[in-house]
Amino acid sequence: MARSVWKGPFVDGYLLNKADASRASGRNEVIKIWSRRSTILPQFVGLTFGVYNGHKFLPVQVSENMVGHKFGEFSPTRTFTGHSSDKKAKRG
Amino acid sequence: MNRDHVLMGVVGRPHGVRGLVHVHSYTAVAEDLSGYDGLVDDLGRPWRLSWHGNGIARLHDAAGNAIDSREAAQQMVNRKLYVPRTSLPEPDEDEFYFADLVGLDVREQGTERVIGRVAAVHDYGAGTSLEIDGAGGNLLLPFTRACVPVVNVRAGYIVVCLPDEIEVPVECFPGTDTHGDAT
Repeated sequence: MARSVWKGPFVDGYLLNKADASRASGRNEVIKIWSRRSTILPQFVGLTFGVYNGHKFLPVQVSENMVGHKFGEFSPTRTFTGHSSDKKAKRG
Repeated sequence: MNRDHVLMGVVGRPHGVRGLVHVHSYTAVAEDLSGYDGLVDDLGRPWRLSWHGNGIARLHDAAGNAIDSREAAQQMVNRKLYVPRTSLPEPDEDEFYFADLVGLDVREQGTERVIGRVAAVHDYGAGTSLEIDGAGGNLLLPFTRACVPVVNVRAGYIVVCLPDEIEVPVECFPGTDTHGDAT
């Protein structure tokens, strides 16, 4: 069941503080968070979060397309060791 | 096989009695496997591949003779298929093959000290990240210009700038504790 619109998106409050601090510093930073349940807000776009998956903090570079999703969606908790072959990585 | 070859697939179990086999393709698009030139197995024997259904293919040897019996197909089970690295198309600027990145030495910016080796490349839909295996354990780095300013595949190293870790005192939001769990 969808969340009621009148409530607005859920986000843990301390994330907003961390995001603001990171933006203010302007340095190359990874914001370590445990809150996988928080919704990705537009003000997070461009920042890099380290989202805990129960084992390690996976880097999540927030882009516009990710707004509205939860942080946990981008930090899988099960290990998948696939094969690389002809897959390409683009440097962000 | 050495670093000159890239693993592209594995031959699976036989399919039917006419020599068809299941092929597990590791390419981004499975059907692309048949398009690569210079497909060789782990014994160095050249093969050509034609698809006959979803994940089912027929293998042809260098002379063009197809495998046409189940017994011959059985001999190919678990045979790995490689292509020469040179047959892969050149990536665009700022694009790198996963296979090229894995195994590169990792040097720290400024000191040029080797701090580890790229163990794996991850992409879960939120940007690529590098898993670096070093003396201090595993380290995960976002694959960005800020964190990885230099990638030199030919020389076999990358230069990394380790990111700072930001910590902000948690404000006392109602119902929120330090790890974001509701109280």
